[in-house]
Amino acid sequence: MHFPLRLALRHLMARKTRNGLTIVAISIAAFLLCFLIAIVQGLEASVQSASTTRLVTQSAVSLFVDLPTSYQHKIDAVEGVHLTTKFRWFGAYYQARENFFAQFAVDQDRFLDMYTSDIEIVEGPGGVTGPEARIAVQKAFESDRRAAIIGTGLRDNERFGFQVGDQVPLIPMIYPRTDGSAWEFVIVGCYRPLKARIPDTTMYFRADYLNEAIVSGEAFGDHGAGVYYVNTEEGVPVEQIAEEIDELFANGPQRTQTITEAAFASFFVSAIGNLPLFLGTIGGAVLFSIFFSVVNTMMITGRQRLQEAGILQALGFRPLVSTTLLVFEGLVISLIGGGGGILIAYLSEGVLAQILGQSIQNYQITPDLVLMALGTSSLLGIVAGLAAGLPFLRSNPTEALRSSG
Amino acid sequence: MTRQFITLDQVSKSYTRGGEKLQVLDQLDLTIPEGDFVALMGPSGSGKTTILNLVGGLDSCDSGTVSVADAEVSAMSRRELPAWRSRHVGFVFQSFNLLPVLTAHENVMLPLQLTPLSAAERRKQADFALSVVDLSDRASHRPSQLSGGQEQRVAIARAIASDPDVIIADEPTGDLDRQSADDVLEILSRLNAELGKTILMVTHDLIAAKKARRILELDKGLLVEDPQQEA
Repeated sequence: MHFPLRLALRHLMARKTRNGLTIVAISIAAFLLCFLIAIVQGLEASVQSASTTRLVTQSAVSLFVDLPTSYQHKIDAVEGVHLTTKFRWFGAYYQARENFFAQFAVDQDRFLDMYTSDIEIVEGPGGVTGPEARIAVQKAFESDRRAAIIGTGLRDNERFGFQVGDQVPLIPMIYPRTDGSAWEFVIVGCYRPLKARIPDTTMYFRADYLNEAIVSGEAFGDHGAGVYYVNTEEGVPVEQIAEEIDELFANGPQRTQTITEAAFASFFVSAIGNLPLFLGTIGGAVLFSIFFSVVNTMMITGRQRLQEAGILQALGFRPLVSTTLLVFEGLVISLIGGGGGILIAYLSEGVLAQILGQSIQNYQITPDLVLMALGTSSLLGIVAGLAAGLPFLRSNPTEALRSSG
Repeated sequence: MTRQFITLDQVSKSYTRGGEKLQVLDQLDLTIPEGDFVALMGPSGSGKTTILNLVGGLDSCDSGTVSVADAEVSAMSRRELPAWRSRHVGFVFQSFNLLPVLTAHENVMLPLQLTPLSAAERRKQADFALSVVDLSDRASHRPSQLSGGQEQRVAIARAIASDPDVIIADEPTGDLDRQSADDVLEILSRLNAELGKTILMVTHDLIAAKKARRILELDKGLLVEDPQQEA
């Protein structure tokens, strides 16, 4: 093995505790970097993947105020509107409150046609897959009032494990049944999201199942539609359609606010505060602390190695050799630490995606993120090594030899 | 006729400590023939180590010239000095200055890394240097596993590994017991007598100094005695 490399590795092995702790600190920094950026990217991906040609019509008062079902045919009649569907938050859980997931009541005869480019039906009744699955699911969705379509996340997650054909009872929190029983749903299809914005842990069921139960007195609650998702026809300015829809209901009974789906997604991100800025600030502070801690540790190492630098100079080595050794050691430590942090981020990706899945879609450790974390770790090692090793270049060998080492 | 190997001509050197200028060497003249073994003695602060540092190219003088083996060391740049040192000077320090993370053999190999020798030749040279100081059986030991005397012998092996013209020893026995000191001095005497190495040694120990061919006494930067003593 080449001498400088051997000497650097010996030094790395000589101070196992200090170098080990430095590696742990860099691992935490690299993991945090991956984790926080993946969250921010997940949030941004939901906004970016949202359609700018699909509109969302909601109550002008609040998102939590339902719109009347009678609005739908009026919106359908607006020029440039292609298809609409109700979209109503249901808010129930499976068996226990911690088994909560999102459910929406939609129009069974319109929903799949509106979301052809957003979701792919991967499984239908009787295990049918491929292109026929969508047709089979559409048919089943329309034929059974309790029919529901779930994302692959609900099928594959051990906590739920719902399968096509299963009868699933959900305990309501917003629309309790008058007899106190659970709502019964029959899974007729399973989808895979094609857009980052759409989670794979959502269940879509028939809006008429909910509304009819409320009207018949089987369940408590108000008859309504939640919001309307509106697909527009190509070539017609969406702003114009939005204005026309809102003008229709300007005099009530419920004034509306129509915005693009992208703006609606942005609203949800901003509703939880400026999360990217918040995460960036917290993460940045932690990263800077770790950065200075690593630089400080390397500088202590540098001071302790001043005598060695003097010895090497006396033997005929240039001062740059000692500096290069420290930079190399800093790089090795930071690459091991960075690699460890990235590995942790990579291995925990599935679990974290599952934990964050309800609020942040598309949490993933991408190759770009891995490269960035590795690059940042390397930069940290090089900067720390230089901070520790640059004084060697200016040191006088006689003074270096006198240092305590 | 023996040529003058080390020459200090009108060399002055001062340091500034705490805002006060200390004149360590004042227009010093010194010549040491090739193959000589010189002991420099004198009180602390008399300039002994400064002479070693100037001869070894570790420090530069304020005025005058320092020449070693026909090379004017005092005229060399900071970039030129390391390469020159690696070829012409071997250092032995009071506190041994071995790298603790390397074995004895690897420490001896250090200066050989700067030579054009192949890896096998370097190993062979290091083996030979260790055999000269009778430490072949301790080659794989780290400095922490050696006694003080053994450490200093490894340092001597390192100093001679690249076959330098001059060995500069700064109080080589200062940290050793009498027996170890005698062993080290015996090795230095052999290197001078058998291999013809020119040795310049600083010491406070008169017994050690008497092993040299000549003892030079320094006081306040001036040579006060040059008895031309034969060992």
